[in-house]
Amino acid sequence: MNCTRRNFLIGASSTLFFSGFYPKISFANIEKKNLIIISLRGGMDGLTAVPVIGDKRLKKLRKQLILENTLKLNSDFALHPKLEIFHKLWEEDKAAFVHATNIPYTGRSHFDGQNLMETGAHTPYQEKTGWLGRGLLASEIIGKGLAISLPMPLLLRGVPQNNNFFPSPDYVQTKLIDAIHNEFSGDHNELIKSTLSTIKKRPLSMQIATNSQDRNNLAREAAKQLKDPNGPRVAVFELDGFDTHTAQGGNNGAHADELEEVNNIVKILYKNLGSSFDNTLILTLTEFGRTIKQNGGFGTEHGYGSAILMAGGLLKKSQVYTDWPGLKKKNLFEGRDLNSTIDARAVYNSAMSICFNKDPEFLKREVFWGDDLPDLTQDLFKI
Amino acid sequence: MALNFYRRVAFGLSPNETEPSEPLDWALDQLNSVPDFLWPGSIPTEKEMRNKLAEWVYGDREVIRKKYKNDINAYEKAKDELRIKTGERFFELNEHAIRHYQTKNSQQPVFERFWLFWGNHFAISEKDFLAEFSTGPYQREIIRPNMVKTFEDMVQSVTTSWCMIHHLDNSQSVGPNSKSKQWNPRDTINENHARELLELHTVSPSAGYTQEDVIQLAYIMTGWSQKYTNKGLETGDVWFDQDRHQTGEKKVLGVKYKNDAKRELPRVIHDLATHPVCIKFVSTKLCRHFITDDPTEEMVRPVIDVWNKYDGNLIEIQKEVVRQAYKYRDLTYKFQVPEVWLMQLSKIFDLNIPLIPFRMNYDFKTKPSHSQRRLSWWLHEIGHSPYRPKQPNGWSDFEVDWVSPELLLRRLWFSSNILPKMIKSKNYNHDFTLECLKKNFDDYERMSLLIKNFNSDTKLKEESDMISKYGIICNLPGVLKA
Repeated sequence: MNCTRRNFLIGASSTLFFSGFYPKISFANIEKKNLIIISLRGGMDGLTAVPVIGDKRLKKLRKQLILENTLKLNSDFALHPKLEIFHKLWEEDKAAFVHATNIPYTGRSHFDGQNLMETGAHTPYQEKTGWLGRGLLASEIIGKGLAISLPMPLLLRGVPQNNNFFPSPDYVQTKLIDAIHNEFSGDHNELIKSTLSTIKKRPLSMQIATNSQDRNNLAREAAKQLKDPNGPRVAVFELDGFDTHTAQGGNNGAHADELEEVNNIVKILYKNLGSSFDNTLILTLTEFGRTIKQNGGFGTEHGYGSAILMAGGLLKKSQVYTDWPGLKKKNLFEGRDLNSTIDARAVYNSAMSICFNKDPEFLKREVFWGDDLPDLTQDLFKI
Repeated sequence: MALNFYRRVAFGLSPNETEPSEPLDWALDQLNSVPDFLWPGSIPTEKEMRNKLAEWVYGDREVIRKKYKNDINAYEKAKDELRIKTGERFFELNEHAIRHYQTKNSQQPVFERFWLFWGNHFAISEKDFLAEFSTGPYQREIIRPNMVKTFEDMVQSVTTSWCMIHHLDNSQSVGPNSKSKQWNPRDTINENHARELLELHTVSPSAGYTQEDVIQLAYIMTGWSQKYTNKGLETGDVWFDQDRHQTGEKKVLGVKYKNDAKRELPRVIHDLATHPVCIKFVSTKLCRHFITDDPTEEMVRPVIDVWNKYDGNLIEIQKEVVRQAYKYRDLTYKFQVPEVWLMQLSKIFDLNIPLIPFRMNYDFKTKPSHSQRRLSWWLHEIGHSPYRPKQPNGWSDFEVDWVSPELLLRRLWFSSNILPKMIKSKNYNHDFTLECLKKNFDDYERMSLLIKNFNSDTKLKEESDMISKYGIICNLPGVLKA
């Protein structure tokens, strides 16, 4: 493993400061850290986002999906040209990738897969809460979750008083909100009651109508909230449209368009978070990758292993973190998909540990039922 | 009193309706036949719409693309004009109007509620141009007539419908040993449709099918595709193309299907649609939609029994769901999804929603007017654009998916900012409002108390009174839930 001087210094200073033991540290005065998850629904193709360089087999199996002018990361991997902000951040040690990874789900259903990527469980629809919501609750961080979507994503459920931001076309009178809040006080419905309380407590800036169609605008507003020392600590963005069974495209096309959206969100967050970006982790989440081989419609089918795109100042260094399984037929999952050699939940558990200042062992027990998830904090993040 | 039943299985009672003396019979009688569409405006056929689609996507757009290839501004302008001329900007608005006119005015509102259910079970998600040209007609011509047949009939029609075939890419699927594959070696199967037929439409993952089952079903489905027109457009009828079909025996969920060309698909659909796991899955989903988010075994069991007894006859199945909904009306509640909530308000207070038909007339010359566009816009803003679910699993039946700060705020926004502008002159009469409430809500007395201060008869305060009155009424626990 390469260990540059810069990495060494960072490692050394943090060790001195934190003395290396999780449970003993008091984090009370440490600056607020943000964790941002971008859900990529439909199955993000890790091999399109972070292609492996010079693999003849991939070129042969994906004639119509070949990328040109990819952005080189290292001798083995490159980036899709639409992910230019990640490349820029890579130069500053603020972007990294985990490759050949997935949640431990090998069925190929979107809906089971998306349910599991959000609950972090093994059986679809068994859990009613999301791993991020449980992580917040276990860390006693209440009322600090923000979803940039109209519904409340399953991922954030499980902790009360989450907020979302997707403003309605016009302002709603405060006295009306109060009246309805009051009428629900005698109702048994805890979910609606607590949601109405959250509405009442929203900062004024969140009630001013903006155009929710404009994703860039939403990302700017999210950055503004996250920058606030008393604002949310967790944000969830939602993107769909990664399910490219036909006309997936290469440099341009359906998958490229979606990656461009991811790039846009990260770019806006980077620009608007300012110095808070250094205390931020951005991670993507998807239900599965896609088949190595293109189909007759120049698309790909549902697969298994994919990649996690990461950005933010809390990353240890720029790297493609992987235990690369290879793309030879015998290396593939069921002879057709990139395999997964890293349980994606280990990455998310470690990221929560960094951002919520909690021992990863503790979170693993509280959030993931003590599943065998290695601690990756030292490998991936600044501790 | 159990007035919530009229909203649980329908859209409430309108001001000129009297409360039925036998609520259960009232509901059951509505399921025996398919009511006609009442919309006096335009109701285009599915086939007509495909031709319109050809004009837009594949026809004239190509022409203007060539014509203005060096002038992007002129191209954009010409494209916009074409959108108007072909009705692309109008058709979805019209479909919403047809749908909501039906839920408001139909003599069989219970049937209409089930129509919404099945359309969402066999959902067409937001993809390509389907919402503009195809999803509405599919709901009208494929889903609706099958509601008095069997579940199996419904699955057969849906699976070979142009809309679903396009939605789930089955035209792209080519058998590896087919003739077509020999001509074009790059062709492969496309698993999308086969997977959703198993997972969403029939047996669900609890049937325990494997990846091999998906592939084998995809083989059976190869060949079922859209016919290309002589211009090379995929807007022709659905047909079975033997040249694309995978020959040989197939095996799905342990059942063998001998090589039999186009007759394989109806056989496998028969087995899937009558599979015990499918019956349980769909019965549970019906109970979840009409009774409670978490239906119990004793709620679902009678539906399954009727399903088996009447061989999947949807009239009988739906009737049993209504009986169970009636039985449990006081013990359970359902949080009403935004579109149904809006339709209920429209019916209960006799609002000006949808637009009156003659104003929905479209000249194919200008952009649809503001009033023509607004219903679709509201649906979008309250988070429930019916023909645009994000994914093929359709809109959720779970309350938790519909409760978030923004989703609740949007209902408050709609009922206080928009709804007061959609009322008729009679709604200004406070007693009229009280009558509407009395007819539909057990909690009528509390409601009238809450709005008693908003009954001024001076023009000056009228507007702010309406905002407060409807803002409050429409968002009370007993109105959001039924």
